[in-house]
Amino acid sequence: MNLIAQTLADGLVLGGIYALAAVGFSLIFGVLHVINLSHGILVLLGAYLALIVSQTLHVDPLLTIPVVMVALFGAGYCYQRFLIQRAVDRSALGSMLLTFGVALMLQNIMIWVFSPDMKNITPSYAFSSFRLGSVTFDAVRMSALVASLVLLSLLAAFLKFSPLGRVIRATAQQTLAARLCGVNVHHVYALTFAVSAAFAGAAGIVIGIILPFSPSDEALWTMNAFVVVVLGGVGSPAGALIGGLLLGVVNTLTAQYIGPSFPNVTMFLLLVLLLLVRPTGILGNAFSPSR
Amino acid sequence: MKLNPTQTLLAMLAAAVILAFGPLVLPPFYVRVGQLMVYSAGLAVAWAILGGFAGYASFGNAAFIGVGAFAAGLVEGNISGIAPPLLLLVGLVVGGACCGVLSAAISYPILRLRGTFFAIAMLGVSHVCAEVTNNIDFFQGSLGLNFPSVVPGDIDPANYFYWLYLAGGLAVLLIAWQIRRSRFGAGLLSIREDEDTARMLGVPTERYKRLAFVISAVLTGMLGVIYGHSLGYITTESVYRDDTNLSLIVYSMLGGMGTLFGPVIGAFALVFITQVLLARLLDFHLFATGLLLVILVLAAPGGVLGVTRSFSLRRRPSPVAAE
Repeated sequence: MNLIAQTLADGLVLGGIYALAAVGFSLIFGVLHVINLSHGILVLLGAYLALIVSQTLHVDPLLTIPVVMVALFGAGYCYQRFLIQRAVDRSALGSMLLTFGVALMLQNIMIWVFSPDMKNITPSYAFSSFRLGSVTFDAVRMSALVASLVLLSLLAAFLKFSPLGRVIRATAQQTLAARLCGVNVHHVYALTFAVSAAFAGAAGIVIGIILPFSPSDEALWTMNAFVVVVLGGVGSPAGALIGGLLLGVVNTLTAQYIGPSFPNVTMFLLLVLLLLVRPTGILGNAFSPSR
Repeated sequence: MKLNPTQTLLAMLAAAVILAFGPLVLPPFYVRVGQLMVYSAGLAVAWAILGGFAGYASFGNAAFIGVGAFAAGLVEGNISGIAPPLLLLVGLVVGGACCGVLSAAISYPILRLRGTFFAIAMLGVSHVCAEVTNNIDFFQGSLGLNFPSVVPGDIDPANYFYWLYLAGGLAVLLIAWQIRRSRFGAGLLSIREDEDTARMLGVPTERYKRLAFVISAVLTGMLGVIYGHSLGYITTESVYRDDTNLSLIVYSMLGGMGTLFGPVIGAFALVFITQVLLARLLDFHLFATGLLLVILVLAAPGGVLGVTRSFSLRRRPSPVAAE
């Protein structure tokens, strides 16, 4: 009983972080219909930036979130405007391969700049933990989870209530209609990508404080984001949250009860099963599910 | 330049005969590169039967390379006392059959998915096969599997496998060519253009897709069997490779998606670029591959054949396509 509770709690904490790491991917998929295979690289870029900033300024890594988000917002805007936009309306495969090419290039640059070794960001409270009933929580994981949930809520509120959020949702629902209403679609695409990149960077910081990372992890985070988005439903923070929590719980339960090397098998079986039963994801909505 | 079927057949055979003289004149390093070129071209054409003709781009064909190689290796290891060429034949039949059964079984659920979802689900299949092979002791995936030698005594193994790959690649190309010319091939193209309309017009889309998927898987698996033999010893990592999964798409994109010879051209070009031109620049390898992809997508989305074709046709811009 105790073990089950602990496993579930660990899974939920991990799931919250998966959700944050996937939400940007989900937004880009929902609005631009682009599978952004460079998503994992953006996540790692956030982690490395946070490492540099927190080490040079001697501040807590979570406090670097605004700086990193602003930097990645700018980078994401330019990336979409000057590269991806050229491939967006041509074919789904083309834009996917374009982002994959960029991911390979950035991964190589990261290896040159940061070395291929594992790095981690260690906050001052790295080894403290607290207990709730019979379940133990690390302070690091909890602060990461809280940061994730706060950021996800902020994004949900931004999409729901702000004028720009409304424009983004309108573009996602019907690009042509939005354009007829005077929306500058290319600008909105670039802004959406920028917001997504910013959230990917923030996720990188949160991941960096709980797990070690290296440039070769990018594929893992891209795949995780894809699975989370397909499980939860495309284009909404709530879908990402549900998908993330599900993935986190399934991963920890599999590792605990079936074997530490099987999470990928259960993850993909779950994915294929869900695609068959409910191709739009658990919170499937009006966004076009597949093209 | 439009060739009639007899001329096309003769051209293919002539090209194969010329390529067959390769090992006699080339230094050993280039025989290895040649092996990889012909092998990749065979895989690329097998991929294109589903991915190019029907537009179902699989991101996980390495699954069939792995299943074919492991099935053949496990069976051949338990057979003794028959001649090497016969042993290889047994391996090919077993490997092909296993891939056929596997693909037929997963075709029902997986071909209901379209576009990117199909691509990623196939990536999932490839990963699941890899992990199952790795973690269940019976398959010996993590330990590694030895293949019995099938090379006749007096031939250099590198040359032998070059010719084997060439024969295999040619067979795959001929099959793809016949499919492309048939009613079945026309049906696959109509699925690529508009699956729902094709179905409304009476094309048995489900059956065609499934058949193309199984053919593609069986051919890929048989090439995987030869690959396993040429390596001599395989582990999970050496056959279920994600870079193979990716390369198969890139070959078609580079050469021309949906064309018959595009994948061959793409595979030859890309293998030459990565193995010969970039061989000295190991630190630079990922960057150069990435840059090549980016340039490819931005500058030549139709691939090499697409570029030449658009020059030769001089198409007027369609008024409908402007969006």
